[in-house]
Amino acid sequence: MTPLHQFGLWLRETLMQIPLPVVRGLFVAAIVAVIAWVWSLPRTQTEPVDHPPRWDENLKWIATAALGAQIVIYCVF
Amino acid sequence: MLLAGGDPRRKLDVLMQALDRLDIAVFLTYLVLTLIIGAIVGRRMHTGLDFFLAGRRLPWWAIGFSLVATDIGGTDIMGVGGATYNHGIAAGNFDWIGCVPVMIIAAFVFVPKFYRMKIYTIPEFMERRYNAAVRVALTLCWLLFMACNMGIMLYASGKLLEPLLGLSQSQCIWLTAILVGLYTFTGGLAAVVYTDVLQCVVMIAGCLAVLVMGVIEVGGVGELHRQVKEVRQKKIEHEQQKRVEAGDAPLPSAEVEHLDLVLPVNTRTPFPWTGIFFGLTLILSPAYWIGNQAIIQRSLGAQSEFDAKAAYVWGALLKNLIPLIIAVPGLIAVVKFPDLQDGDQAIPRLVAEIFPSGFRGLFVAAFMAALMSSVDSYLNSATTLFSHDLYKRFLRPDATDRGLLAVGRATTVVLTAWGIVFALNAGRFDNSGVYAIFQTLMAFFQGPALAILLAGMFWRRATGAGAVVGFIVGVAVSVSLYALNQPAVYSALGWEPLFQIQDPYLYFSVWAFLTTMSLLVIVSLLTKPTSLEKLADIFDKSS
Repeated sequence: MTPLHQFGLWLRETLMQIPLPVVRGLFVAAIVAVIAWVWSLPRTQTEPVDHPPRWDENLKWIATAALGAQIVIYCVF
Repeated sequence: MLLAGGDPRRKLDVLMQALDRLDIAVFLTYLVLTLIIGAIVGRRMHTGLDFFLAGRRLPWWAIGFSLVATDIGGTDIMGVGGATYNHGIAAGNFDWIGCVPVMIIAAFVFVPKFYRMKIYTIPEFMERRYNAAVRVALTLCWLLFMACNMGIMLYASGKLLEPLLGLSQSQCIWLTAILVGLYTFTGGLAAVVYTDVLQCVVMIAGCLAVLVMGVIEVGGVGELHRQVKEVRQKKIEHEQQKRVEAGDAPLPSAEVEHLDLVLPVNTRTPFPWTGIFFGLTLILSPAYWIGNQAIIQRSLGAQSEFDAKAAYVWGALLKNLIPLIIAVPGLIAVVKFPDLQDGDQAIPRLVAEIFPSGFRGLFVAAFMAALMSSVDSYLNSATTLFSHDLYKRFLRPDATDRGLLAVGRATTVVLTAWGIVFALNAGRFDNSGVYAIFQTLMAFFQGPALAILLAGMFWRRATGAGAVVGFIVGVAVSVSLYALNQPAVYSALGWEPLFQIQDPYLYFSVWAFLTTMSLLVIVSLLTKPTSLEKLADIFDKSS
């Protein structure tokens, strides 16, 4: 057993202590954080700047739909 | 797709035996349509900019389709279905959390930066940020990976077409290579992207048909869920019984894991949450969607910065669908064929059994579309890397745009020839383990490449020397960890394996990333800071 193996086993044992529902929460929280970040972006970064944007040219909504589907998926499975 | 698929060679045998004339007609129609699109797009090729970046005229929707088509290789359709059959829906993580969040972040942070800098390649960015050595190192890594993978994909297509067309395997490899080479030669990136649109639509249509008909076949979604649980529970109990009788230790976990995306650290599958979260979501996925030339090149050819961003967001939305259509059929196969020895046979058997005439041809076209969309992308991107990062940078810095078009086309011919030679000889690798190494190649340098890319974009103090040392040592760490986990190596050393899962590339990419980042920080702080003039290009708010 080398120090590398001992370190690996310690890490594995430590991570195994985290309950799976907490891990699932971590996955969902990461996605929610990305949605929150997208909505914090200025409009100049999420809409075309050379013409007045149409309703379907707001990337915040499309990004939210993509990430929202992820939240549903990780809550269901 | 980052999931290392299995050997594609024998996967479709069972399906090929079930094809009739209508199926073959559907398949040939797809091939002819691909050629027509390539020929139409190829008429607008006049300069190197047209060839390598489609004249920066690509719309967001085409790039979005192309991103998804390039990501899903032919081996992935079988590989993900097979992995789901063997290990469950957790294989879908590679297309869900392993893609969607990072694609959104890339769309608003990295893609606009690259687009405004008007670069052609990621190694070009690396030289503008660091130095020529980093550019060369990264170019060589990508060229090696793309050239080998192109050969493997051509080899897989030869195996697929052999029984379908009644030609020899060599003839089929020549046929596919010439077909893909022809439209990539004439139409460059634009032909690649627009044929990818057709290929993506065919792929989604073929796989969606498998999903819908499969779910109907097993009696609906609720019934599928119930039966998967029941079948797997019986299998686990049977396996436990066998282990007890043989005096072996019981399975680490006796839970049914086929319907869970988030699996414990001691899972029986290669997909523990630790690998999925730390290895896939935080390292391999960003490295792939931000640093992979074959992926990022499409967005650099967008007609506007907004289109470049929108393409990634649209691609992310599409990505939500992919595991449903390529992974869930693996679960349907669990119910229909619970005792398959080889999980990779799951999807072809399902298609052969439940599809009527014509639909089977659509699925074979979908498989071929997935293969071709990856081969053409690697071919075009490898050509761009050689032409810009080696030829123009070191051999002919004064090369004109038209001259680069000629070089790009000549390189396409040479690389196509290389792919053919590689594919014709790939049969020798069949049982040697070399095939698996090629599939793992990308994981060797993705972690280190991401580390130097992130440091280069967000830390002004990062230096070229730090990047070179960090990258080289990081790749060495990846290769060493891979080697130390091979039974021949750890047995010879009298060790236990370093990792406790079957295919730990998700883990060694994390260690390689951390090693590179640590060394990059240390060496950078010990060396002279990069000049402010050089950094202005990267850190200027307007670029």
